Amino acid sequence: MALFAALASIIFGAMAKDTTRERLIYGLKVFAEFMVIGLVLSWILYFIP
Amino acid sequence: MVKAERMQVEETPGSAWLTGLAAWFIPGLGHVLLKRWFRAALMGGAVWVCFFVGLAMGGHLFDLTTDGWIILQIPPMIANLGSGALYIVSWLLNYGFADDPVRAARATYEYGNTFLLIAGLLNFLNMLDAFDIAAGRKS
Repeated sequence: MALFAALASIIFGAMAKDTTRERLIYGLKVFAEFMVIGLVLSWILYFIP
Repeated sequence: MVKAERMQVEETPGSAWLTGLAAWFIPGLGHVLLKRWFRAALMGGAVWVCFFVGLAMGGHLFDLTTDGWIILQIPPMIANLGSGALYIVSWLLNYGFADDPVRAARATYEYGNTFLLIAGLLNFLNMLDAFDIAAGRKS
């Protein structure tokens, strides 16, 4: 999941925004969102039989 | 006057289409042609890694040969086709296409499928990015 999030956020980050700094921040934000949403969904699905 | 200016802005050079095609065919090549070396390594590299990790996990590539409904094969095939030459070479070598129950039983099978699908979809984004840069719509 972390590898998937990293690869996807590299592309999203590189494509978006204008400056390198903005791209880096956006990429990190997307990565964090992937990880947090992935973990939250995992725990929700864990309790669903 | 305004219309004429708009028409000029919207014109796309032929090289942009070729760059887009190259970016689709070999992930990263579009940005290499534009001399965006770092972007090519980063974005193209991500697609290559995603594809080969998917294959290593035992993922399945989709084509139109199936015993079930062909229509269900089309959306994932379009996603897989985004990988360009990677998909075509795998198809020519018949690697990753077989419906193998042993392979499907692997714990990483579905993860592999997802990686392969996402590799293609991310390369579509690469292609659009290279096209936009070549067309002068993006720096």
